[in-house]
Amino acid sequence: MPSGAKEVSKLNDIEREQNAVGTMVELTSVFEGIASMKIARIKNQVLQATKFFNDLWAIYTQLRVDSLFRFGRGKDDKDIIDKELYIIITAEGGFSGDIDQKLMHWMLKSYKPEKNDILVIGHHGAVLLAQKGISFKKYFKLPEKDQNINPEPIVKYVMQYKNTVVFYQQYISLMVQDIKRIELSTAVANISEKSGDNEEVISEANYIFEPSTYAVVGHLERSMLKIALSQLILDSKLAQYASRFRAMSASHQAADEQLDEVKLRYSRSKRAVKDERLKEIINGLRKTKLATGGS
Amino acid sequence: MSAEEKPDKKLKKAAKEESDANFLNVKIYSPFKVYFDGPAKSVSAENDTGPFDILPRHHNFMTLLNAGEITVRKEDGEQKYRISRGVMHVRDNKAAIFLDV
Repeated sequence: MPSGAKEVSKLNDIEREQNAVGTMVELTSVFEGIASMKIARIKNQVLQATKFFNDLWAIYTQLRVDSLFRFGRGKDDKDIIDKELYIIITAEGGFSGDIDQKLMHWMLKSYKPEKNDILVIGHHGAVLLAQKGISFKKYFKLPEKDQNINPEPIVKYVMQYKNTVVFYQQYISLMVQDIKRIELSTAVANISEKSGDNEEVISEANYIFEPSTYAVVGHLERSMLKIALSQLILDSKLAQYASRFRAMSASHQAADEQLDEVKLRYSRSKRAVKDERLKEIINGLRKTKLATGGS
Repeated sequence: MSAEEKPDKKLKKAAKEESDANFLNVKIYSPFKVYFDGPAKSVSAENDTGPFDILPRHHNFMTLLNAGEITVRKEDGEQKYRISRGVMHVRDNKAAIFLDV
């Protein structure tokens, strides 16, 4: 193949590569945008739900100022499983960077099969556990929706156990996400941001309860468990979106740099093709000149 | 001049207090949405005992709401909300209705 034709073929290759990298830049930019939009939406929802929870918590603490949190079981502690339930909240797919592996590694450090049962939220966590040959009690899909999460089936499990610890991912900033572990009864208290100047005690002496005090207290505890779990799931989703955003930002930057480099190679190649053609023209002219006697 | 204004202010205050006493503040909300927040003449819902009304100056009250309708009666008409479940808390002429809990 003549050298000119070779250069043209190389130029076409580089052009194709440039288009492919250009598409990659656009794609990563779109994914980055989607992740940042979802982050803004969930952050807003977490704030809204916190206000609702604070109001409910203020009422609950006035009701039960001197008592322990009983996971909505009322006074009936008879059939409680004497184990600690581990709930691990992971991503549904594998696009959340290495944060799931970190969380899993951390949970397994303290996991003892005779003392703990595991409940997994998110398909990725279930896959990671299966790969390690560790059995788990139940797997739940990570809710697709960011609103009206219904953790009722999870709460049913929580109520059967003596205690529950949740391993989840926490959003700190767009660039920083952390892994956390929290006892669920503490989580309920923490989410309330200690809102209460609980000056007034709610009791049967100054309130009418329907259907009964225990029914109301038990229902409130279950409700707060549900809200606390929803908040932890939302927090994890927020951290996963941020982690994805970070990964997409890095890919976007890498693709941008690659595009610049390909563009430079393309320009150089194009220049080389032009130079080659110019050389051929000059050589041709020279030959013609020599053939006609060089006047 | 200010001495003349004082009784007028007192009258206005008394009138406002009397008017406020005819209303109670109602807030109906879920974790992600506020459905109603304002003064109302009464609010009606249903619990295990049956349908009930909450009027201004109601006694402190806490109940679990059944699925059904909540009716808020305002000065200019009434508004209805369909609910699946909820908790109602009444104190100091304020009724807070927590939905989806």
